[in-house]
Amino acid sequence: MISEALAQTTVAAAESDFSFLSLFFQAHIVVKLVMIGLLAASVWCWAIIFDKWFLYTRTKRQMNRFETVFWSGQSLEELYRTLSNRANHSMAALFVAAMREWKRSHEGAKPALHSLQQRIDRVMDVTISREQERLERRLLVLATVGAAAPFIGLFGTVWGIMTAFQAIAASKNTNLAVVAPGIAEALFATALGLLAAIPAVIAYNKLSADANKLGGRMEGFADEFSAILSRQIDERL
Amino acid sequence: MRAGLIASTVGHLAILVWGVISFPDARPFEVAPVDSLPVELVPISELTKLRVGEKTAELREEEAPKPTEKKAEKPPVPDAKTGDAKAEQPTPATKQATAQPAEAKPAPTPPPAPAPEPPAPEKTAEPAPAPPAPQPEKAPAPVPEKAEEPKKVAEAPPVNVKPRSKPAPPPKVQQTARAREPEKKQDDFNPNQIAALLNKVDPSGGGTQSSSEPASLGSERGQSNVQMSQSELDALRSQIARCWNPPIGAAGADDLNVRLKVSLTPGGDVDLSPQVLNSSGNPSFNVAAESARRAVLRCAPYSLPTAKYEAWREVIINFDPRELLGG
Repeated sequence: MISEALAQTTVAAAESDFSFLSLFFQAHIVVKLVMIGLLAASVWCWAIIFDKWFLYTRTKRQMNRFETVFWSGQSLEELYRTLSNRANHSMAALFVAAMREWKRSHEGAKPALHSLQQRIDRVMDVTISREQERLERRLLVLATVGAAAPFIGLFGTVWGIMTAFQAIAASKNTNLAVVAPGIAEALFATALGLLAAIPAVIAYNKLSADANKLGGRMEGFADEFSAILSRQIDERL
Repeated sequence: MRAGLIASTVGHLAILVWGVISFPDARPFEVAPVDSLPVELVPISELTKLRVGEKTAELREEEAPKPTEKKAEKPPVPDAKTGDAKAEQPTPATKQATAQPAEAKPAPTPPPAPAPEPPAPEKTAEPAPAPPAPQPEKAPAPVPEKAEEPKKVAEAPPVNVKPRSKPAPPPKVQQTARAREPEKKQDDFNPNQIAALLNKVDPSGGGTQSSSEPASLGSERGQSNVQMSQSELDALRSQIARCWNPPIGAAGADDLNVRLKVSLTPGGDVDLSPQVLNSSGNPSFNVAAESARRAVLRCAPYSLPTAKYEAWREVIINFDPRELLGG
């Protein structure tokens, strides 16, 4: 009796394939959609992670290089002339924006120095926020995927288990061989959801902290540069 | 962004391919065939069977009882209890049996004897009514004489008086005194006593049969049908051992063996204070005895089979600290 049941179970197990692809193709259409969505979310998340990783390391390197050049005692005019020709990011863009405003204020016959300090601050604020926005773009996708992917996976699991129980009801058999494939498919959805969510959550925390650090560094530079320019303006008044 | 997307897609595809290759299929759990274990239940109660006997009897080895070859010479005595008495006792006869020792045995024989006699007159009387006429004449004469005798003995005569008008009574009257009993039975016929009437065996009070075997060593009470199985003894032992705090610090564990006689109630409670049966020169013996007594009192009531109360009404428990102290 028992050996017969065992034999049936092993036969059923041998018939049903549990590789990743077969798990996917055996699943219900809803579960399939959930799996596809989760896979796409995972791909997108990792794309963002790679992109931001490269961006932040590059930005940090640029900042370091700019700071060494800036504090090397080089003439600001000369620096502006070399930087204004090419596309700039972060600190260089900040410097170029402030210098451009400075230059424009000195273009006329009578330099407009009265509210130059406020204008320069305003320009630098705008540049900082633009740069910040550029650094933090798409980070919210990571946060969203990290929060929602487990639930989406859970939805797929619940749907798959529903299907499994319907199969039990239809076959009027509680044999594990009947229940197991449905549950395995269903759990595969949760596994995909967690697979997408865990890196997304970790990366979001790490990358948003990095972005804040870079933003803080730009603000510090803006304050320092504003102080230098303010001293120059006061000397010329 | 494009570089990141490409890297991500490539990475996912790589992982997927690796997953498909390295997890190709779920392997079924390998279930090793398990041989069924031949389990045999050995009734160990046979080993701890209590024998009927005397505690003072000598230890002796007994031969196993041989199977009987001959047919028993004596017929088995009904209602005899075996083994209790030293000497054989005759079956005590009842009063009825002793009152008619002589008549009781001849009694079975007479009924057949008179039986053929009455039919003869009856057969002759019925076919020829005229010839028998003189016989009734002769008959009336004995009737009163013999009717007086029955009156003393039984109530049968008054019954006989009524059917006198019929010619049938005379042959009955002709019957002698020997025939009184059957006559009586006919008259006092009670359907409820058929079983008693049919039972021809004289009632006896029963007797005992002496046993040629010497008394064997065993329980005082001689409860041959009460046995404590080994597992039940072990159960009692473990119940007591759980509560026993042996005198750990005492020196000379060899002398600290305490034997306690414990009386138990049917509910498993300790009836009287447990009695210490042995003594020892060891100064710590009193402590050990107290600890044993405490153990017995603390663990009461014990759960023991009530049906076998006779077996554990009084138990002697050995408290040996040597096993625990390693001494």
